[in-house]
Amino acid sequence: MSSPLVVVAKGGAEHKRWQYVQYLYLAAFVLLVPVVLQPFEIGKMNRALVLSVAILAVNLVVGFNGMLALGHSAFMGVGAFVTASLVQDENWDFWMALPVVVLVGFALGILVGLPALRVKGLYLALITIAQATVFPTLVNIDELGIAKRTGGPNGKGVSEEVIAPSYFEWLPGVDGARGGSAYRYWCIILILGITLMLVTNYIRSRPGRAVLAIRDNEAGAAVYGVNLPVVKTVNFAISAGLGSLAGLMWCLDKGFVAGQDFTFLLAVDLIIGLVIGGVGTLQGSLLGGLFVVWVNDLTKRISIPLGLYTLNGDGPLAKAIFGLILILFTFFAPGGIVSLAKSVQNKLIKVVPLRPDGTPAEDIDSFDPGMESTRAQSAMKLAIAGPVLLVIGWLLMNVNNLIVGCVAFGLRFSILVTAPVAMLVGSNELKALLAGNRPESIKGQASMARLLGGLGFLFVILYGLWLFITKYS
Amino acid sequence: MTWNFDILPDFVFNGLSLGAIYGTVALSLVLIFKATTLINFATGELAMIGAFMVYVLHMEQGLWLWLSILIAMIISAGLGALIERTLTRPFDPADHLPVVLITLGLFLIFNALAGDIWNYQVRLLSNPFGKFPSWVPGLGGDRFVMVLGSRLKYQSIGIWLTLALALFLLGLILNRTKMGLAFRAVSSNVESARLVGVHTGRTLGFGWAIASAFGTLGAVLVAPQLGGVNPNMMATILIYALAGAALGGLDSLGGAVIGGILIGLIQAVLVMWLGVVVFGQAYMSILQLAAAFVLILIVLLFRPSGLFGSRRVERV
Amino acid sequence: MSDDVFDEVGLVAKNLHASYGAVEVLRGLDFEVAQGKVSVILGANGAGKTTTLRAICNMCNSSGDVSLGGVDISRLGTAEIVRKGVAHVPQGRGTFPELSVTDNLLVGAYVRKDKEINDDVDRWFEIFPVLAERREQLAGSLSGGEQQMLAVSRALMSRPKLLLLDEPSLGLAPLIIEDLFTRFTNLNKETGLTMLVVEQNANLALDMADVGYVIESGEITLSGPADQLKSDPAVQEAYLGA
Repeated sequence: MSSPLVVVAKGGAEHKRWQYVQYLYLAAFVLLVPVVLQPFEIGKMNRALVLSVAILAVNLVVGFNGMLALGHSAFMGVGAFVTASLVQDENWDFWMALPVVVLVGFALGILVGLPALRVKGLYLALITIAQATVFPTLVNIDELGIAKRTGGPNGKGVSEEVIAPSYFEWLPGVDGARGGSAYRYWCIILILGITLMLVTNYIRSRPGRAVLAIRDNEAGAAVYGVNLPVVKTVNFAISAGLGSLAGLMWCLDKGFVAGQDFTFLLAVDLIIGLVIGGVGTLQGSLLGGLFVVWVNDLTKRISIPLGLYTLNGDGPLAKAIFGLILILFTFFAPGGIVSLAKSVQNKLIKVVPLRPDGTPAEDIDSFDPGMESTRAQSAMKLAIAGPVLLVIGWLLMNVNNLIVGCVAFGLRFSILVTAPVAMLVGSNELKALLAGNRPESIKGQASMARLLGGLGFLFVILYGLWLFITKYS
Repeated sequence: MTWNFDILPDFVFNGLSLGAIYGTVALSLVLIFKATTLINFATGELAMIGAFMVYVLHMEQGLWLWLSILIAMIISAGLGALIERTLTRPFDPADHLPVVLITLGLFLIFNALAGDIWNYQVRLLSNPFGKFPSWVPGLGGDRFVMVLGSRLKYQSIGIWLTLALALFLLGLILNRTKMGLAFRAVSSNVESARLVGVHTGRTLGFGWAIASAFGTLGAVLVAPQLGGVNPNMMATILIYALAGAALGGLDSLGGAVIGGILIGLIQAVLVMWLGVVVFGQAYMSILQLAAAFVLILIVLLFRPSGLFGSRRVERV
Repeated sequence: MSDDVFDEVGLVAKNLHASYGAVEVLRGLDFEVAQGKVSVILGANGAGKTTTLRAICNMCNSSGDVSLGGVDISRLGTAEIVRKGVAHVPQGRGTFPELSVTDNLLVGAYVRKDKEINDDVDRWFEIFPVLAERREQLAGSLSGGEQQMLAVSRALMSRPKLLLLDEPSLGLAPLIIEDLFTRFTNLNKETGLTMLVVEQNANLALDMADVGYVIESGEITLSGPADQLKSDPAVQEAYLGA
């Protein structure tokens, strides 16, 4: 498939439909997590989403401002400990603690950022790496009541459980066995959603554009009157505030914080998530958090006997695998998963921008009306491939072998890639049916593709509904 | 408050020997920074691997300690050059992010591999400067000599002499050999260096090699102070070394050594002696690392180019 | 083919292209510098003069054929091209600011393996006594004119067959420029050094040169013997302020 399957105009009906497919996915994902997953898996998902917020914070500095920040674990730690202390010692509510935590992070960001960002080069990286290494030692200080507030080496637990109030029990998954983690999931989703919205607006605002301008051309930005140190420092402080917020979410999720949780290794995890998700993209931050938690989970299952030595992923080597993945991505996919996904998507669907006069910049080549036969063939193959791969993946799940298990996992998830196309084909089919012009459009392979696509579409919808209904009890 | 001056020399000696070690590791950082304006965050882990090589050669294979150190330094140098050639040369040095990511990846890999092979227990490594050798009159076999009423350990003297010798050799290499001249030329102006026919890639590889050897030397010297070698041994040392390099000026070789020594003195005299002994604030001992952090902040605030740094630091 | 004939070929560039990213800066230049002669390339800012010299040394993304003395050098790396006898004085001097004056000269002889390097250093100190006075000073502390002298002598320390000069007059006082160009002319006359000079100062450059080229937007628009170019009305209007 060298040329894209479909070429649609930006903002056109088909583009909109494609976007709806994506939103539908996102909505299905968000909705299914608390009802389908086991409580401990929801816990992992919570952790992943918390990391996503932290990665988003790092992204503000590294991805959008082009500076290197390697110490956000410390900001997370501060946020987590301040939250724990306010909630446990002062009987505050988590939501009351939120503004305080963000402000504390912001202030710390100014403190660290101001000296480091006055000068060009790797100085921010240097100071933040020191900050990440120093932080875990600080929580153990007995003086000034610090150890009392942080719990010192033992860590600090928050005894107040986060339980859904009665008026929130209608949230999917919240009632029943997985109630606690599911409710925390919804809290985290809420904060994450608001954060994403705010960050999106920030990036598009005037100061946000200044931040981007500095990344793209520092001297140029200065010439246009951008006050470099101020913009950089404020941006870093916002990022630090966001990092603290992630710390609050950590505390809310785990109910326990300890100095050992916020070491330099956590900061490196954030950087890894950022790079593998995709530097400088919002979706990348989300994917990065999921990647760090779930891949770490996956590598733990590796156990390959090599004679006397056993290659054991459940130990130090998990970090080595992360390091290797980081280096491989830096070499071969510097844009991260997001750019990989984009290149796959571009093979399927190309979105053509509009000229100022409203006409598309390139020829539009959509499914409607009537497809040329090669394109129809590709569409058909894809529409068939999705369910077939899914079934094979299903069957393979029964083989008790890690590698086969991974393949099966991948196969089952390939439906996520093939289904949107099937849905696009299928939605066209439905439209044609409703408009009453379907009989005429049934011509050879194009109609086969439509039929199969329509079936694929129905299958995905029904499967999602079935999952929801059976698991949501 | 008790101004206990009697034990001050103890702290000064200790600070000077710690500082010399920081200076050695800082040199490793600065050698690479000077040539590329990059900070190799895997410096500490590379050095740790070097220390484990000494452990394997000397403690496990029973090789003569100094020969083991020499071999480990040579292998480290090769490893450094290999990393430069394979992992950093393909990237544009003006773009810091990829190379920093590579060094972070290496940091994780080396640390984890060492942890997998040798686990995270501290393993004893012989002290190259445990007791005065027998040919030293009156002191042979002793661990220390009394100076100013305090014990000056042979270990400290040995560390200073080693650093002095290493610096002398580094000076010879940089100032008297063609490769050294090329290295200084590349550090000063890469484009012009290429225009006089210097193979910049090879020269940077040479810089990485020397830097890695220095790192290994630093790790071997610090091991006895930590009771032995372990995969996390360099984590805090790297921060002190970074502070030392920042204090001395990230692009000054002499500054790195002096900065490292100053950090050692600040740590031992200002924090430990003044803070803990004189003011009786026990928690100051936890703040040793934090002091290094605060010092980097202060340096950046008041003198971003460090004490001996040059033009490279640009205000924005 | 005897060596003499071989040598007369000098530098020949054919269909030289270069680009920065998507922007094409050179669009197929053809020019040559005869052995022992001086050619000059004139052009306004952004015409592609510096890129031309960088393309010869393979320091930018370029294509086309470049040969020196009949030997193809277009596929070689910069360091190898220098070893083939090309010396390049880049725009803005390109000295090594943290190295002493002596070290700057020594590093200029990096590609040489003979024993006469120190003699050459002394020779340049004789030619530029002001450099000799500052031989232990760091190059970064020299004045603009002194840096240019140092840059030229450093380039010649490699005993090149071809010297590339990138706007040697840039940022220098008129008196110093004249002095420099007199020295360049003498160098060419006395040692027969082949030179390719890129300049905006057309008067001085054309006085010194045998052949001149004018480039605009990456293409050669005029070429010919230097004295002929000097009297060309278009050149006079654009570069000589006539």
